[in-house]
Amino acid sequence: MRKQSRSEADEIIDRADASLLEIIDHVLNKGVMLQGEVILGVAGVDLIYLRLNALLCAADQLLPRREGT
Amino acid sequence: MIGLYAIARGAPRDAIGARGERLRVLALGELEAVCGDPPPPLSADAVRAYEAAVRRIAEAAQACLPARFGSCAADENSLSAALEPREAELNEALALVRGREQMTLRVHGTAPEGGAAGGPGTQYLEQRRRARTLPELEPLRAALSGLIRAERLERHTEPGLLASVYHLIDRGSAQAYRQVVESAPLEGLRVTSSGPWPAWSFAPELAP
Repeated sequence: MRKQSRSEADEIIDRADASLLEIIDHVLNKGVMLQGEVILGVAGVDLIYLRLNALLCAADQLLPRREGT
Repeated sequence: MIGLYAIARGAPRDAIGARGERLRVLALGELEAVCGDPPPPLSADAVRAYEAAVRRIAEAAQACLPARFGSCAADENSLSAALEPREAELNEALALVRGREQMTLRVHGTAPEGGAAGGPGTQYLEQRRRARTLPELEPLRAALSGLIRAERLERHTEPGLLASVYHLIDRGSAQAYRQVVESAPLEGLRVTSSGPWPAWSFAPELAP
């Protein structure tokens, strides 16, 4: 199960376009997060955290200047 | 198991979740917890669907603090138990984001090397100050001063990506914000903007 989740995360990152990277950063990296009784119930998210900033940086090389959503 | 989409004030009663489910609004003291089905498996489509669902909530609510993708609780009691101790903090955050939305800036460039006068201690403090505020953005901040209601800044360590800056603006002012960003004089920095977003970066992280 864990291996499958990592593959899924890899696939998302490898195929992500700029708008998806922005969505990922906001949806997976920000927002109310409660620990304890309320948990993150989705495996593979941590892998995306690790690679996201590097990809956001790389995305800048591909994007037209000051693109909005 | 229930999925948590957002903490809100004035949440819509007919919102649709990422799986097409009708969302429920649970009243927890002064807070409203917008809940739906448990989070879907991680996929690009699921992330997009979740973001769209939170966006619909945020656009209809008076105030909305998005919940991170994957947030869930065993049942309503455990959700209430997790939120209740943080009610004051969440209410304060809701007051801040009420009637507002978020713009996100990615700041690309090269951090200036050293340059601070004084001894090691002074230089250290100056580096800390620069890391916290990114003073190179001051011209842009000044140009946006009439639009920005709050700011969060996140420094990055990746080469070329200096920081992400999150601004809270009044709803409906995103176009004016973008115009200012596009015309702001910034030497040596390249800034890209996106938004408007729900106030993702203004939701408190509520670690115990």
